[in-house]
Parts: sequence; C-alpha cells; structure tokens
Amino acid sequence: MATEQSPKVSTPRDIRKEERAQRKAQRQGADAAPERKLEQVIIIGGGIAGMEATKQLLSLGYRPVLVEKEDHLGGHVASWNRLFPDMGDAQAIISTLREEIMDATIYLSTEISFCNRLRDGYNVMLSNGVNVLARAILMSTGFTLFPAAKKEEYGYGVYDRVITNADLENWFNGGDDHRIPSSPKAVGFVHCVGSRDLKAGNPQCSKVCCITAIKQAIEVKEKFPEAEVYCFYMDLRLFGKKYEDFYIRAQRDFGIHFIRGRVSEVSETINGSVQVKAEDTLSGRPIKVVLDMLVLMAGIVNNPDNAGIAKQLSLETDTDGFLRSADNILSITESPRKGIFLAGACTGAKTVPETVAEARSAALSIHNYLKNLQ
Amino acid sequence: MIDRIANGFHPFVLPFVFGMVFVLSYCVYGIVKILRQLPAEDRKHFFVTLVTPKYIVKNVWDIFANCLLHVKLWKRNRLLGYMHSSIAFGWFMIILLGHIEVFLFMPSRAKFFYYPIFFNFFVAENETTLRGSLMFFLMDFFLLVILSGIVLAMIKRIRSRLFGMRRTTRPSFLDTIGLYSLWAIFPLRLLAESFTADISGGSFLTLPMNWLFRQFLGNNLNMLPTWWAYSIVLGIFMTILPFTRYMHIPAEMMLIPMRNAGLKIRNARRGFARTEVFSCPNCGVCIDACPMSVKKANVKDCTVYLNRQIRRNNEKRIEEISDKCLLCGKCTVVCQVGVEGSVLRVVQRSTRNYAINQDYSCIDVAPFKSQVAASSGNVLYFAGCMTQLTPSIRKATISVLEKAGVKYKLMDPDGGVCCGRPMLLAGRFAQAKEMFDRNVEIIKASGCDTLLLSCPICYKMFKDHYDLDGIKIVHHSEFFSQLLDEGKLRPKMSSEIKYVFHDPCELGRGEGIYEQPRTVLRQLGTLVEAKQNLDESICCGGSLGSLSLGFEKREAITRNSLDNLCVAHPDTIVTACPLCQTTFGRYSDVPVKDISQVLDSAVGEKSA
Repeated sequence: MATEQSPKVSTPRDIRKEERAQRKAQRQGADAAPERKLEQVIIIGGGIAGMEATKQLLSLGYRPVLVEKEDHLGGHVASWNRLFPDMGDAQAIISTLREEIMDATIYLSTEISFCNRLRDGYNVMLSNGVNVLARAILMSTGFTLFPAAKKEEYGYGVYDRVITNADLENWFNGGDDHRIPSSPKAVGFVHCVGSRDLKAGNPQCSKVCCITAIKQAIEVKEKFPEAEVYCFYMDLRLFGKKYEDFYIRAQRDFGIHFIRGRVSEVSETINGSVQVKAEDTLSGRPIKVVLDMLVLMAGIVNNPDNAGIAKQLSLETDTDGFLRSADNILSITESPRKGIFLAGACTGAKTVPETVAEARSAALSIHNYLKNLQ
Repeated sequence: MIDRIANGFHPFVLPFVFGMVFVLSYCVYGIVKILRQLPAEDRKHFFVTLVTPKYIVKNVWDIFANCLLHVKLWKRNRLLGYMHSSIAFGWFMIILLGHIEVFLFMPSRAKFFYYPIFFNFFVAENETTLRGSLMFFLMDFFLLVILSGIVLAMIKRIRSRLFGMRRTTRPSFLDTIGLYSLWAIFPLRLLAESFTADISGGSFLTLPMNWLFRQFLGNNLNMLPTWWAYSIVLGIFMTILPFTRYMHIPAEMMLIPMRNAGLKIRNARRGFARTEVFSCPNCGVCIDACPMSVKKANVKDCTVYLNRQIRRNNEKRIEEISDKCLLCGKCTVVCQVGVEGSVLRVVQRSTRNYAINQDYSCIDVAPFKSQVAASSGNVLYFAGCMTQLTPSIRKATISVLEKAGVKYKLMDPDGGVCCGRPMLLAGRFAQAKEMFDRNVEIIKASGCDTLLLSCPICYKMFKDHYDLDGIKIVHHSEFFSQLLDEGKLRPKMSSEIKYVFHDPCELGRGEGIYEQPRTVLRQLGTLVEAKQNLDESICCGGSLGSLSLGFEKREAITRNSLDNLCVAHPDTIVTACPLCQTTFGRYSDVPVKDISQVLDSAVGEKSA
C-alpha cells in the first residue's frame, strides 16, 4: 500500500523519508510476512504522545503516518523550557524523540479533512490531499491551555503585568515579553486558573499546575533573587515522584511564600503594578499584596479540535469534554470504537512521563489488535 | 308581560340561590378579612381613595376595561382577548339586561334577586314586548357572543398552540369542575330559553330553536328539567368559585382599586399580597415567559404555581418556589392582572429566620469618606463588585470619562461597601439597610452632584432605596447618551458592524431604561433587535435573584437567551451589565461586550 502524495506537497525530505522507510521495510521483509510489516497506522497529533507512539510502532515493524497541524513536532512540550522535577531540558527530549522517528512518514501543517469508516478500517483524507488507509488510528490530539482572559477578574489581557505560565516559559526560552519587568520586587503565582472551577467551565484538576507553579516560582526566584515570590493555592496536589521534595526546597531554599486561598480580584495601581486581593484561609484573614508581575497557572482543558474528528469517527466525549476511553482502568488507551486508540492528554490532564508511558502502552495495544486481526 | 307563576317562585331556583348567597357571603368575608389585614395607614388611605371622585372614575373605568373588556389581553393576543371579553362582557350584559327587563316589564318582582336570571321561565308574553323586540334580540345576541367564546375556550383546551400559548397550566381538580360547569351554563341557558320561547317570547336564536324542538319532541316536557339543570350548574359554579381559579373574577375587582390607591405588598400572605394571589386567573402566560422554564424545566416554579401553592398553604413548595426564582420580573410584565411575582417572593424570603444575622457595625467608613473627599470632581463613579470583577468595563468607563473631559472621582478604587442588593433580594432588609446607611455617608462626604454606576444591580438599588436628596443617580448607558447629545464625544460610526442590545433585567424592566443604550449604539453601528426585547427581554441566567438554582441548571437559560439575541446574526452582543456580560461570555460564540467597551473603542482619542 503506497502513499499517494500530490506533487505540490511532497518535499524532497518527505520523499527521502518514504524511500528510507520502504528500504527498511524491504530489509525486514526477509524474515516476516511483508504485508503485515508494511501495515500503516495513522497517528493524529505530533506531540510527545504521538512521537513516542510513532517510535514504538516503528520498532514493532509498522509504518506509522504522523499527522501534525502545527509546522513543528513536540506540541506543548516544545514550547516549554525546563521540566520538573529534575529541571530537564524540554528541547532535548523533543529532539531525541525527533531523531528516533526519522523513518516514519510525517506530515506537518496538515489537518484531517474527513475520515470515514470502511469494513475493516478507516479512510482518512488529509488537508494536503493525501489519502491514508489504515486499520488502526491513534488519537494523540492532546489538550489546550485554558484561555486565561476568560477569568476576567484576574485581568489577563486587561492589565499589563499579568501573564500566564505559557508566557513565562516562552520568556525563559529567550522570547521577548514587555510585560515582564526587568527587576521585579514581588511576583505572584495564581494556581488553578480555569481548573477546578465550575464557573470557568472546567471542574477538573489539571494535575500539572501545582508542580509547574513551584518550578516556575523557583526559576523566577533564581532569575530575580531580590524578588518576593508568592503562590496563591487552594490545595497543593503534589502526588508525583520527588514533587514533595521540590515543594520543601521551594520553601526552605528559595523562601517562596505559599498562601492558601483563592485570589478574589486583581486591580491595577496608579504606577501600573497589580494589587491582588485574596483570603489567607489558614489565618482566616483577607490579604492585599501589590505585585510587579502576576503569573496565572492556566489549566488543561480539552482540545476543541477533537470534537470534529470525534464526531466523524463516532467517538464519545466524556462529561469533562475529553475523549472517553473504553474503560478507565484496564483499557485506558482504547476507545469504545474498534481500531481507534487514544494516548496522552486527549483523555484528560497528564504529566509528561505519564503521557510517554501511555503512548508506549497504546502502541502495544495497536500491535496486539492488528495481530489478532490476521 | 304577565306572571306565569303566581307567587314568582319555583323550587328549581334554589340551587342558584344557595350558590349565589354562598359566594356573596364568602366575598364579603374575604373583603373584610383583607381590609383588616392591611396596615392601618394603608387601610385609611384606601378608604379615602374610594370616596375621592378622581379615583372613583379611574377605578370604574379600570374595572370595566380590564375585568370586562380585557383591553390589555386584546393588545397582546386578539384571539385570547376576544375569548375572554366575549364571555365576561357578554355575561355582564345578560345580567344587566335581565335586570332592565325586570324593571321595565315586571317591576313588582324586582325584589327577587333570582328573577332576572330566570326571567323567561316566570313570564308569559302578551303584546307588550312586540315579539322579538329589542330586549329579546339583545339577550339572544349576547348569548350568542358568549357561546362563541365558549367554543374558542374548548378549542384552546385541546390546542393551546392555536392561541399562541406553548404551555398552559394543569388545572386542579376543582378548577376542572369549575371549568366544565362554566362551559355548561350557557348552552343550558340557550336550551332552557328555547324550550320556553313560545310562552315567554324570544328572538332570532331561541324562537327557531323552539320551533325546531317542537317538530320532533311534540311537547314541552323538557322545559322544567332544563331550567333545573341550568340552575344546578349555576349553583355548582357559584359554590365552588371561591376554591377555584375563578375567584380571580371578584378578587380583581378588589385589586384594581387597591392598586390605584398605591398600596404595596408589605406582608407575604396578607392584605394586598393576598388580593394579588387570589386575582391570579391561572392562565399560565407566565410559564412561557419564565426564563427558567426553558426545556420544560422548572415549570412548576412559575408565578402561577406560587399563587396556587400560597392558596393551598403548601409551605414547603412556597419556600422552594420563592428561593428558586431569578427575580427577572418578566412574569409581571406579561401578567394580565399584574401579579408581582418577584415582590411576593422577596417578601416571602424575608419571613425566614436565620440562625446568624450578620453584623456590619465593624465596617469603618472613615477611610472611604476621606478618600472621596480628597479628590476633586463632581461625578462620583461607583464601580461596585460586579464591575470590579470585570476590570475591562471599569477601564473602558474611566477611559470614556477621560475622553469626554468629565471631572470624576472614584468611589471604590480600593474596595468599598456593597450596595446591599444581594441582601435585599434575599429578603434580609435589616442587613441591606446597614449598607445603605454607610454608602449614603460616603456619597454625601464626596460633595458630588452625580452618582455614576456601571452596574444595573447597584443602579436599581441606589435609585429605588437610597435617600440621596438631590444627588442625581445615573447609569453609565444613560450618562454616555447624554455625553453624546452634548457633543462631548465624537465616536466613529462603523455601519458595517451589527450590534444587538440585551436589556438587563434590572435596567430595563427594573428601571425602564430601554432607549438610551440604543441611542448610543445607533451612533456606533447598525442596531439590530432580538426576537424578544425591551420589557420582554430574556434574563441571561446569571441573576443574583435566585438563592437555589445551581450553576449547571443555568446553562440552558443562558443558551436560550443567547439564541433569542442572535436571531438577526449580530457581530457583537452589547449589554450594559457586568453580570450579563460574564454570564453570556461563558457560552457565547459571538463576542459579548459592555456598552462602555464598544463606545470606548469607537471614540479614538480625546475629543473634547
């Protein structure tokens, strides 16, 4: 089964990749049934879940076709700077994964035009005119960050000194941001912005923001040792490996102030700083702090693009808007539809290691599924 | 005309006499009870209006126009208007003409109050009425009018949609009996009068029917049973009337003079409130109007059911219904009798005993007072909590004030005292009063002559409940319209942008401000209208009014309101309330903006 590519979209790089994949398949064809080894699997979404699954499927002897709507791979992790808890380099992870999937067919800046169900598989039409037939589809479509401007009382987009976690990472990566002052005296982090907030439309916990806030607070303190750093949280959910150590270090080694209480409102002072009103629920008192910069920890919400694809594939979404797994314990990477698999944050908020592990698990599920079809 | 029955009496009149005596005594008892329940000064004032010529004329005309002609209903729905006025006015005319007949032809019998009702039974015609003369013609004519109304009523019961009503109330058991007996009265009267038409005389309806019946019955033995049936049905209707929705007929005649006298609801169940509750005709117009009833939810929490439960003294349901309401006030706008559903509920809420009553004496207004006294300006801008939570509205409003060169002061740049509306809506009047007093102190200390508000919730509060002697209270939409009139702002007109204005409950129905925001928007772009607008605009669902309606339950209300706004495919939904803006913003695909934001972006730089 050869991929039909229209001439206007096939770049020399793509063609080289095709040839390489074919050569590899021919080489392996000597010791196994060639038609099984050449079987295509479509992977929708080129974030870390999609990349890891591609890597695993390649090594299992399939021919993964990875479709990514952006012009680069790596998803949200690609725009992050360092990852908790070991402050590992996010770019390094992406480039390692990218190296390992060189042999796969990768379509960048490409979206799914439509897909329909065949008797024993799926026909997926891509926006670049390529038509892919496959018996298995992996959805690794990920999440979106909660649009922080929706919580208008926090002033994102209204006040000059209010940014989000993503803006801060972008600045860590060398991006330019006029909203970040050169020597702030006080910086605040608001946890749970658009998470566990019914009125913002998302009652779920985003899982990663607590630890991300601690990580970013430490990084800000490292950049600006003079600044006082405050974290306004309602609970600290530090469930992961080494997270608690990280939290203790933030308090003990970096002197970051943790205030239990949700921020009620943010206003602008005459000199352009922001004033935060909150309740310290441990001391039971209302507090007011003037800050030079406020970082909103925008949460993880479902990717609205999922709805269209899910509808065409008759996939169900859960009450939280994320895709629904066949079972939340034993088959989290399987959808209720035959031949459609799920990996990563398209089924809910997940950390990087969880996503990677799930991608591997999904690749194995696909392998077993296709093997049993023979 | 001569007497056919020598002593002017026949036992068949007894059911009617019993019913009539019962209903009249009940009404007298009710009137006395309600009057006793009124506070003394209200009662005195009410009695004075009853003998003041100006009020007498108004009362008589209002009763005539509303109870008999149903003028308000005609304006809303002609078919329903005809149905109601044909029955009410027709019946009234038959009773009136019956009395005139007695006085004209049988003055000696005028002392029997049943005589006009059963006139045709008791008399035999001689040459004096000239066969089908004017009186008989009119009697037949109005009977025909009523019968046409009854036919419409029957059709409405089966297909209410034909009358423009999607949903109507489920009648209670007694209501059903009342309904069927009412329907039966007039056909039975027609039959009874037809059977006696050859003796008593008749007109274009009764005489041919008499002839027709005679052709195949050949005798007049049916005469007496039919008159019995007519009297019994009348008796049943009169006897159960106090316990059915038809109580609205006498109650409304009491309500109109009371309302004209300017009485207010002071007690949840007694006095004026009781009159309103009994005046509810259970028509169910408020069900379709209620924003909560979208998708068939909360139908039993509409005002019509509140009235029913109050009449039944079902305390549990009264509390539930009173707490759930959004207090948007739309039911009162559409109500034919003017039952104030929101006021009834708020007063009901005030009867609750709370375990804890907040004490706000610790709030120190001195820093606020010195803050407002320090700066200069004659317009005092109070953003209020809702605007503080939507900082873009506050920013835009201040920016417009700057651009227009208005000398303003901020009343709550760094916290302030609540206007008191949430407490008031929860029925906690004493707590609300504490807020009023503190805010009045701050406002007076500012020395400003105008109080500007960008939140209709605060606006209604300051306007209706504060005594600010002489300080002008304006909503920002009003103020902007005035600034534009004075030429202090020169916005850029972009006719390609289509705006729709959502009338916030508290601003529109609450304070009657409909035109000013539209005047502003017409100078900024093309104004389109929602399907239901002005005083029938649909609540956004975010209202502070409800004490028990959950967040998830409000989504359907908001989406319904958005669908209503978007019928003309606007580019931007404009509102003048921070709460409406936040609520719509949650689910809207079309951008939702406050009028200050739209105006601010259209006014480029300082123009004054």
